[in-house]
Amino acid sequence: MNLKISALEYIDQVKNGQISAEEFVSATIDRIKKIDGKLHAFLQINPDAVEQARKVDKKIKLGEKVGACFGMPISIKDNICIKNSKTTCASKMLENFIAPYDATVISKLKQQDAIFVGKVNMDEFAMGLTTEFSAYGPSKNPWNTDYVPGGSSGGSAVSVSAFECVASLGSDTGGSVRNPASFCSTVGYKPTYGLISRYGLISYANSIEQIGPMTRTVKDTAFLLNILCGLDTNDNTTIDNGNQDYLSEIDSGIEGKKIGIIQEMIGEGIDSQVLSATKDAISKLEGLGAICDNVSIDMVKYSVASYYTITATEAGSNLARYDNIRYGYEFPVEGYEFNSYISKVRSKFGPEVIRRMILGGFVPSAGHAGKYFLKALKVKSKLTKEVNQAFKKYDFLIAPTVPVLPFKIGEKINDPVALFLVDINTVMSNLSGTPSISIPYAISNGLPIGMQLLAKHRDDKSLLQAARALETTVQLPEVPI
Amino acid sequence: MVTEDEIEQVAKLMKIEVYDHKEFVEKVHVMLNYFEILDSAGVEDEEITMRDVSLSSLREDKHIPFEDNLIEKLNNYKGSYIRAPKMV
Repeated sequence: MNLKISALEYIDQVKNGQISAEEFVSATIDRIKKIDGKLHAFLQINPDAVEQARKVDKKIKLGEKVGACFGMPISIKDNICIKNSKTTCASKMLENFIAPYDATVISKLKQQDAIFVGKVNMDEFAMGLTTEFSAYGPSKNPWNTDYVPGGSSGGSAVSVSAFECVASLGSDTGGSVRNPASFCSTVGYKPTYGLISRYGLISYANSIEQIGPMTRTVKDTAFLLNILCGLDTNDNTTIDNGNQDYLSEIDSGIEGKKIGIIQEMIGEGIDSQVLSATKDAISKLEGLGAICDNVSIDMVKYSVASYYTITATEAGSNLARYDNIRYGYEFPVEGYEFNSYISKVRSKFGPEVIRRMILGGFVPSAGHAGKYFLKALKVKSKLTKEVNQAFKKYDFLIAPTVPVLPFKIGEKINDPVALFLVDINTVMSNLSGTPSISIPYAISNGLPIGMQLLAKHRDDKSLLQAARALETTVQLPEVPI
Repeated sequence: MVTEDEIEQVAKLMKIEVYDHKEFVEKVHVMLNYFEILDSAGVEDEEITMRDVSLSSLREDKHIPFEDNLIEKLNNYKGSYIRAPKMV
């Protein structure tokens, strides 16, 4: 059974009767059992996956209506709720939390007969960019298991990259889909803010985060977006996309399109291999008929500080609800007064979550808000203006997804500022609400480099066309696992 | 300059018992120092933009009963009561 196929190839093969959903899902589960000990992408495996695939096959056989996914095995980041299954956010605080409802994205995928093979690892509460902050241990990069897979949706990227599923859903607050996509050589998509409902995504920083698909190809991402987008009464930040078909016209090309090369994202601190891959991508785009030119976005250098200030503040508020009384880990209440119990049990949050919660209490507090939080919001406003201004002149912007190559596990864990700067090229899309995509672009010394394309608000369809055009120029080796 | 006492106070307000003070103070310090860069962004006169949500797009404020018996999913309950630490 060849598991190394795209989502659209899977659908074709099931439709043509070349493979059955049961065979494919069963082989996928076998592969997870065989290799995930080395990678630790999965926190849980769905014990009913094969049975669910069998039901899809039965529907096909009986000529009943079958959903567009035809039993496709998908992994789900462990901060997205699937009814009656554990949703831990890779935190000890939620180790026993069984979600009582489906996230909107899960309902939509269920309606289309997708099969969830398991829940995948992440940095605790999505705070991090390596999965090293998972309370259940880090995931490993399938290209070299000594290296981080990126994060926070690291398990999602690893599972797609290592053929442990056909696609995955992650969430992207400051690059958490695109960063691991870049480090593991998959496609990672951060949609326009509001395009995909966040109902059932456990909140970290609501004002900027989005759920995003991670796939092997740009076409697969477009296919999933067709299923996932749309207004949701349970999330009133969702926007009406007019039932746009992201897959049609995806091969339109980019001839005559103007692309701005963001100078602040290819300057100081960039790895020479990443820079050379970026230059190569630019010349490929020019070869396809695009017109590339330098663009400057001044606020980029302040964007990471703005991002961390805003997200810490929202996280401090969102995580205040976890008191361990209704669900959580076993810790008897006897002998504790209410407040001391809550303070005691909350010390089970991991160190990075605690640091960000303390920051989140500090930066918006009376006496400090003017210096930190309000200024961060002002930077966000000015950055958004600058981004909108750039898109008056350019159809797309380009920058490497991450300015450095994947690094070794443990290498940066004790240096929060070094970790901050890994986010420098990705937070802009979150702060400005605009869409962006990372596609696999190069392999340097056995480690992947992703290229990021960005488009203006609601221009997701054109962005996918541009990404598809660039993708056609890329030929990469297969993951060595 | 933020002090250990201030961080201790914020941790208390956030209801988190912090064991390794030195470690947290050092790292939170480093993070806050990095945020100082915001001072040189020159955004003092910038307006903060907000996203408007019209009242008509909000959900109606009405009770929608949940189909499952949620309390059965909890760790410690008896009848319709949840076991909690004593308040006083």
